Amino acid sequence: MRTYIWLTIVGMAVATYLTRAPMFLALASRPLPPRVRLWLRLVPLAVLPALAIPLVLVRDGRLATSLAHPPLWGAIVVLALAARGVNLLVSVTCAVAVVALLRGLG
Amino acid sequence: MASLALVPSVFVYGTVFGGLAVQAGLWPLEVWGMSVLVFAGASQFVAVPMLAAGTPALAIVLTTYVINMRHYLMAATLAPSFRRYKRRWLALIAHLINDESFAVAAARSQPPDAGVYLGSAAAIAGSFVGGVVVGTLLGGLVDDPERYGLDFAFPAVFLSLVAVQLHRRSDWLVAIGAAVLAVALALVLPGNWHIVLAGLAASGVGALVLPVEEAA
Repeated sequence: MRTYIWLTIVGMAVATYLTRAPMFLALASRPLPPRVRLWLRLVPLAVLPALAIPLVLVRDGRLATSLAHPPLWGAIVVLALAARGVNLLVSVTCAVAVVALLRGLG
Repeated sequence: MASLALVPSVFVYGTVFGGLAVQAGLWPLEVWGMSVLVFAGASQFVAVPMLAAGTPALAIVLTTYVINMRHYLMAATLAPSFRRYKRRWLALIAHLINDESFAVAAARSQPPDAGVYLGSAAAIAGSFVGGVVVGTLLGGLVDDPERYGLDFAFPAVFLSLVAVQLHRRSDWLVAIGAAVLAVALALVLPGNWHIVLAGLAASGVGALVLPVEEAA
């Protein structure tokens, strides 16, 4: 039993339930104020790149600026495919394959 | 039914998560517990590398909350379809709110049909948790995930999810602003606080500055 892990999981569960239940149980018949809806729409647009781009560009606390950095090409591939409406799993699989191939060559 | 077309994708998504979580050092029981109790794929993909890095629990919980705040919108839209249900059932149904079922139910009729939503939620929940269990059992088969680029599946999933949401010029500005800010913060801040800070800053500034008509 690893306390840190389970404490985090329970915290995540409570935090996530708090995003689902209150609005649902209140059966909100009135829509949210437009500016709140705007903010909620923008949150994933901001959080997902904030998460992904440092994983691609920051390595050991430093910026990876070299073109010989496989994740950079993987990111370009997945963005290009997903933007063209290619299925998420196909896009991700192609990007992973490109990164694996470049690492194999490097 | 559209949900059935999503089941194989969600199942494979679940196996990818289960496999990566085990490779990151989580035990299968922890991965199953998280998948049943949290049941929010994107935030779980985010939490695993943070857990593996020993990030403070509060930072992970806050990040989870921020990523899952989109549920408020879905819950508000779905709620009027469930007016006749008992409260204890509502408390359980609320836990199953997910992107795919919301999309299926909301795209089909307005207001969404309760039966369509429940059927979809059951199918998505079953295939996700089933996929996670299979993934945790098979995940240990890969010794060196980086060699196969599997570590890159995390950013790749996030990038593909954001790419399909970029419609307006302002969407691009928010996404690029968040990315630049996050990289800058990641270079100077410890842990993974850059995710919460850049995510809140870029979305908050966007919500204050953009015309309110862009909410739709």
